[in-house]
Amino acid sequence: MEKIKELNSYVAHLKKSLDEIDEQAKLILRTDIELNKTQEELDKKITALYALQRISREISKTLDETKIFAQIQESHLEDIGFEKALGFLWSEKNKRFNPVLNIGYSEKETEFIASQLENNLYLKLMANIETISSFSLTDKQLNEKIKNLFKVNSFIIAPILPKDGSQGFLFVGTEMTDTLLSAGNEELINILANQISQALENARLFEKIWQAQQELERKVEERTIQLSSALEEIKLISKRKSDFVSAVSHELRTPLTSIKGYASILLSEKLGQLPSAVKERLEKINRHSDELSRLVNDLLDISRIESGKVTMKQEIINLKEILEEIKDLMNVQLKEKNIEFSYELSAEAEYVFADRQQLNRVFINLVGNAIKFTPPEGKIFIKTHSLENKMCQIDVSDTGIGIPQESIKAIFDEFYRVDNPINQRVKGTGLGLSLVKRIVEAHGGNIWVKSKLNEGSTFSFTLPKP
Amino acid sequence: MIVGIGISKQIDISSALQEAFWQAKIQLKDKEPTLCFLFSSPEFAGLSILKNIHIYLPHIPIVGVSTFGIIFDSHIYRHSLAVCLIHSENLKISVAKVNDIRKKDAFMAGRELGINLLKDFKGEKRNFAMVFSDGLLEEGTKLLLGLQEILGASFPLLGGSASDNLKFKQTYLYFNEELLTDAVVGILFGGKIVFNLSSRHGWKPLGKSRTVTKSKGNIAQEIDGQPAVNLYKDYFGKDTLLLKKDLKYISTLYPLGIYLEGEEEYLLRNILSIEDDGSLICQGDIPEGSAVRLMIGTKDSCISATQQAAEELTTESIISPAITKKINIVFIFNSVSRYVLLRRLAENELMAVQTTIKNNLLDKSPYKNLNIPIIGFYTYGEYAPLKALHYQGRTHFHNQSVVLTAIGE
Repeated sequence: MEKIKELNSYVAHLKKSLDEIDEQAKLILRTDIELNKTQEELDKKITALYALQRISREISKTLDETKIFAQIQESHLEDIGFEKALGFLWSEKNKRFNPVLNIGYSEKETEFIASQLENNLYLKLMANIETISSFSLTDKQLNEKIKNLFKVNSFIIAPILPKDGSQGFLFVGTEMTDTLLSAGNEELINILANQISQALENARLFEKIWQAQQELERKVEERTIQLSSALEEIKLISKRKSDFVSAVSHELRTPLTSIKGYASILLSEKLGQLPSAVKERLEKINRHSDELSRLVNDLLDISRIESGKVTMKQEIINLKEILEEIKDLMNVQLKEKNIEFSYELSAEAEYVFADRQQLNRVFINLVGNAIKFTPPEGKIFIKTHSLENKMCQIDVSDTGIGIPQESIKAIFDEFYRVDNPINQRVKGTGLGLSLVKRIVEAHGGNIWVKSKLNEGSTFSFTLPKP
Repeated sequence: MIVGIGISKQIDISSALQEAFWQAKIQLKDKEPTLCFLFSSPEFAGLSILKNIHIYLPHIPIVGVSTFGIIFDSHIYRHSLAVCLIHSENLKISVAKVNDIRKKDAFMAGRELGINLLKDFKGEKRNFAMVFSDGLLEEGTKLLLGLQEILGASFPLLGGSASDNLKFKQTYLYFNEELLTDAVVGILFGGKIVFNLSSRHGWKPLGKSRTVTKSKGNIAQEIDGQPAVNLYKDYFGKDTLLLKKDLKYISTLYPLGIYLEGEEEYLLRNILSIEDDGSLICQGDIPEGSAVRLMIGTKDSCISATQQAAEELTTESIISPAITKKINIVFIFNSVSRYVLLRRLAENELMAVQTTIKNNLLDKSPYKNLNIPIIGFYTYGEYAPLKALHYQGRTHFHNQSVVLTAIGE
């Protein structure tokens, strides 16, 4: 009996302990469910933030306006806690909101919603930069209206406001009844809408720059075509001219040779004595034919060099030798006007790599001109110096009448003659400097002139060194 | 046996199917598939998915489900589509379906499925059957009982129910060219193959043990002589209205546990709804007289249960003496409740399975340098036998459980 009593009390004690444990279980459960809920909320937020980050990364990379909204996918949206979304941009032209994004709605539903939107309400939201949600909206009637139109239980609407171009708004919503929205969700959707605005801005800016660049490229291309066709035309004309000159010169040379031949035979008086008046006229014919044939030869040379028919037979030439030859050749004219001729060759520029015959012509022309335009008792001085790029420069200076500034540009053109008293008195073809220029250029060199009226001129040209 | 698995996240059905199918087909080398599994997110579920796959596999049985998430190796793929192709010369299979379950009664539907499965299976050795059912079916237990009447009470049955995107609105089953709802699909496996299975949940009992004093099928009417709902009211300090509001949540995290003698774990029952008279409608049977307790799950207990299930799967046992040397594929049928509990840690559970398989099998001969594909889906309910000899391996309908199945030859 005592034993039973003892056991009973033990059982009662055990039962009490069990009840106490059950009470503790209740405490544990209630804490646990709260903990789980908090953790779930936290999990959802973290997932939503990750999703937001993914969307942001994608849309910030997108420079095509039409593809920005396509970056927002159903799975992203689900992670943020919604299964429906619509994006609208306001069209000022049509006075309506155009859908640019639809998730969870058919085309038909989207069109229906677009047609039922109260434009003023959303334009006001955009103007006020205001985000609204089923959670924060105090106007109950409006809240229900939006829910009914979009067929959702919870929603958030945030404006999309890029600085340029059309603006609009982003709608997200869910049919689920157990989704509790908070200010945090609103903030999240706001960030997303801002990201979209930013991306739209970038895309539009990029589009503008791209368009401008395309326009520029198009213009450059147009101009290039114009220029190159002009260039082609010029080349053609130039070739025709050279061909013409070359043909004409050939045709002229043949009769000229016979005129000169017959004049020489008559002058030799082998065909009988000539009266002195006839002889005088014949000598004129002879002299003029000589001039004419020089002119024709020069012309032929120019056109040949120009058309590339003449190749320069380049060799190593000692400038001193050439200049001595020129001095001998020109001695009579130099003596006539008592002109002093001297030269000074720099040690690094004693030799050139050039065609001997052509180089002779260059010097004959330049020195000949110098003599022609230098008054008696004047000076002609030639000096050389070495340049970088394996070239050497040769300067031919005189103390002549000089060239007026306005003529300097044209002086190397064919048939150009400076208007001065000497040229009016002395005959010339106007081809000499033109030929010189072509010869120098055919060697890869340049020629130019510096001159001061009544003080003298310096013709400088460059030639390759050996 | 050769297995190929493929997955695609493409939005367009035909390109998704093309991607997943060819990924799987290439792994089969030039062998023709014997059987095809198709798991997809609910938004893919439609006739076009079946028409599309039928082009690739005109004469092969195709079975599958819609699901909240596909399990592929140790990853969860949502809004995706997966194909699993199996080639085997020794495998003998038979597939069958039964629809209009609500009209026919779940028990009769189970019987019909069993009969259909056996039709082409005369004289063959039967190993086990895989069962996929509509996720919104309330009477999973009755369906099993009907099936067991035909196939044998302790015949191993395993599988899970289809699911949707946690909306609990509509789930789908795939069967050859048919898209089914309110239906069940079965595959009977036979021939010279080996298999093993394991199942766990990890939920622990809390508080006092109580007795179901009045019940009918899957409806618990009274517990300890009081309306069944009082148990939840009492523990959570909430009235019926608040409980109803939070029910999906509470039921997922704190289901009822039925005590089974000799079993390590309790048999879990989710509460689907609360009736006005205080009855609890459960997903699965809750027999009168059974001892029940409120269960609690934590992330840790959930993951370590999966780990344990993976250990059991990869250890030799009476029914699977050679399993550790011959596994070709592992299927996972995992309760969506586990996803809800684990959330961002959900893949940790799958990694535990993969790591265990690697440690116990792949790092040892004859698996050296081989790979065992893992594929499966999230369910609204699971089918698996209990291990205790006392129950002779009888299959039960479970909630919140992970079911692992290994098949090989």
